[in-house]
Amino acid sequence: MTQHDEIEAIAALDAVGAATADEVRTLDAHVAGCDACRRARDEFAEAATFLARSLEPVPPPDDLRERVVDGLKPVVYAEHRFRPWWLATAATLFLALWGWREVGIRVAREHIIEQQAKIRGLSEERDRLAAQNEKLASLASPDTRAIALAGQEMSPTASARVFLDPTHRRAIVFFYNLPSNPADKSYQLWIIRGDQPNPQSAGVFDVTGSGNTTLSIDNLPVATEIKALAVTMERRGGADQPSEKKFYVMGGMS
Amino acid sequence: MDPSVKPSALLPAVAGGDVGAFEALYDRYSSTLYALLIRVLGNAEDAQEVLQETFVKAWTSAKMFDALRGSEVAWLISIARSRGIDRLRARRIRVDREDEAGREISTVSGFVDRSGGADKAIQAEQTVAVRGALAELPEAQRRALELAYFEGLSQSEIAARLSEPLGTVKTRMQLGMKKLRDRLQEYR
Repeated sequence: MTQHDEIEAIAALDAVGAATADEVRTLDAHVAGCDACRRARDEFAEAATFLARSLEPVPPPDDLRERVVDGLKPVVYAEHRFRPWWLATAATLFLALWGWREVGIRVAREHIIEQQAKIRGLSEERDRLAAQNEKLASLASPDTRAIALAGQEMSPTASARVFLDPTHRRAIVFFYNLPSNPADKSYQLWIIRGDQPNPQSAGVFDVTGSGNTTLSIDNLPVATEIKALAVTMERRGGADQPSEKKFYVMGGMS
Repeated sequence: MDPSVKPSALLPAVAGGDVGAFEALYDRYSSTLYALLIRVLGNAEDAQEVLQETFVKAWTSAKMFDALRGSEVAWLISIARSRGIDRLRARRIRVDREDEAGREISTVSGFVDRSGGADKAIQAEQTVAVRGALAELPEAQRRALELAYFEGLSQSEIAARLSEPLGTVKTRMQLGMKKLRDRLQEYR
């Protein structure tokens, strides 16, 4: 997966507000120097508004329009008829004080919004770290089960280790020596279940460089329903079902 | 204000202090934004407050609008949604949004509609078109996108709500957004 593909994937999530704080930072840093990805981000943002534009329009109350429009006029329309000098001075002073107050309120509002955004970012970061700590702690749980996935015909030297926390129905998978996937493909991890005829996707991931990567999985089926885990290579972004029975790593529950 | 002014010309005129352009902007988009805010916030009082904030922001920041980056309506929607989601998170409104929105819609039928006939026809046509684009998405993709967009849920919260693995949810949202982006070209 190229960096541009990764950035586009983040931009798609960011358009509906679902990118994490880390992802947004990565996106912002990248688009600052990449016109193509900045265009992609803008297009995703525009496309996300389809969700709002598909709603049946609802006219707001008439008095709201009056409040909004009337609220602007003192700022915009300052009449310039002749007045005594003292009245002009008083009016100027009043307008200056009034404008200063409005600017102050506006600056304060903007500051509050910025602070709220920062708090949201920090809160997401805290949640992410807490989730990460919780997952790492679960590796040390006495209930955690380790499952080895062995390399298959597509990549005999590859392997993986799955640490499955059955209590919280989640797992961390460490992959080793997998070949890098082409830019138009993704690896996909499948759960082969004893209670269902078709495999269930557990996530899509990419491998570059070293051939090693890690995947976290939440909301797993209960452990007794998991018969085996296997990895295939699918089209970019993943498929609903494995397209071929060409496995890269695979292993069963003992 | 010149009635022949194109929709994309409204915000530059607003940035120049044209109150007539601002009123036209309000008449053209307030119903779309109000529907969005009722969907997000679930009650009329909050929706009206945020709608007012949105238009004040449009008045004070119109010069920031860049037509090369997106449409006028998308710019306004992004302001309204962002403020709506901030309000939703801050007040942690717990209401049945669908019921509440239904009540709001049923009580507003008597209001005067100031938007012009041509505007209404174009908006109605666009609403049908974007609904068509959304209807083409698989239900699971559309649902995940709606939870993020209208309810401000994070990836993890959506995965928990749908009882699906996080990776699956991310993939669905990314595929859904790519399809919507592809359709975007048809409305430009």
